[in-house]
Amino acid sequence: MTREEISELAAAYALGGLEGADRARFEALLRAGDADVLAALRDFEDTLAGLAAAAPETPPPAVKAALMERITAARAPAPARPVLRRRAAIWPVVLSGAMAAGLAAVVVGWTVSATYEKRLDTLARDADQLKAELRSQQAVIAILRDPATQVVALSGLPPAPAARARMMWHPQAGGVFVATGLPAPPEGKAYQLWAIAGSNAPVSAGVFSVNASGTGSLSVRPLPGVAAVNAFAVTLEPAGGLPAPSGEMYLLGKS
Amino acid sequence: MPPAVPGSETFPALIARIAAGDRDAFSRFYDLAAPMAFGLIRRVLRDSEAAAEVLQEVFWQVWQEAPQYDPKRGSPEAWLVMRAKTRAIDRLRSMRRRDRTFVAPLDESIARAEDGEAENPAVVAEDRGLVQAALAQLPEAQRRVIELAFFEGLTQSEIATRLGEPLGTVKTRARLGLERLRGALRGERLSAT
Repeated sequence: MTREEISELAAAYALGGLEGADRARFEALLRAGDADVLAALRDFEDTLAGLAAAAPETPPPAVKAALMERITAARAPAPARPVLRRRAAIWPVVLSGAMAAGLAAVVVGWTVSATYEKRLDTLARDADQLKAELRSQQAVIAILRDPATQVVALSGLPPAPAARARMMWHPQAGGVFVATGLPAPPEGKAYQLWAIAGSNAPVSAGVFSVNASGTGSLSVRPLPGVAAVNAFAVTLEPAGGLPAPSGEMYLLGKS
Repeated sequence: MPPAVPGSETFPALIARIAAGDRDAFSRFYDLAAPMAFGLIRRVLRDSEAAAEVLQEVFWQVWQEAPQYDPKRGSPEAWLVMRAKTRAIDRLRSMRRRDRTFVAPLDESIARAEDGEAENPAVVAEDRGLVQAALAQLPEAQRRVIELAFFEGLTQSEIATRLGEPLGTVKTRARLGLERLRGALRGERLSAT
């Protein structure tokens, strides 16, 4: 390979844009410890580090506080150590050496297991969180994959002309609703989503609020007795919602 | 460009102490290096909240992977910056994926991230040292390729499609652009000694 070829691969790799066979080839060279390749990559990575160093920004202090806490928790300082020493000082008088050693082994074992239990706890929590996230994402993906899913765009009406929303709706599976550009509802009020089928009265599909940037979302269960929805609408209602719409309409979209 | 600090506080020395589980060394390394990583992550993500999360992940990775740091493979700065960059781009891609699935037409901050600041030469030309200045002085075509790859996480073929240029041209521009930046960085180092 010529210097130029190496340089080209190293540049793309450092920038993060090297793909396919080129990437495999370059990584093989790296693994093999090819001196020219390593030097070329090191140079470019230093260059990019220089680029980053040229525009530093002060991170929010909360990040460091959280990290220091996380590190302390991960290292699980061993509280059993002084206990071990104290017992070792008192008990050898009474206990045979073998028993003291046995006790020490138990205490050490307990310390180690306490450390790991803490870590396992954290891991289990992380895993539960990920599983829950995965389930909700799988539900969304299942809905999106199904050809029977309709996507309905809702546009803002006079109370919030800039508001927009999307409803991904599947008659059997339910749907996902996302809105943006809505004003924060006044105290004691919330937005309510309605499904309108034919000339029937609107059916409530749930109540939602919006965050500080005006975005809100709602996961909608299948609506019993509602087959083909012709339109979705959002009105402002008392918090908790009403059985039938009473307030001003903010969003409307026909399917 | 290690900062002027006593010997036990050079970046390689700090990484070695972190590898041995030294919290103070980690705290010090964070203070010295986090602004550089955060500047880059913010540039990639623009969303401060997401950037703060990514910064935390990156330094958590530093804490865990310090024992694997190999000085032969590069400087600690590069080691850190490459991690920051990879994590930030991963986050950007997942934001875009989520975006394409259902928030896309709605989330304005993403739209800004797509074609906002990168187009603004004033932002790029901000006078923050020679490397940044050199980036601003690159021929537009080379600068664009480097920015699309480094700050927006596009692969070379994606850049080729975006710019409507042959892949070979994109590859050459990335190399020429980085070589020129490398030259600028060396100039800076020479003048500093």
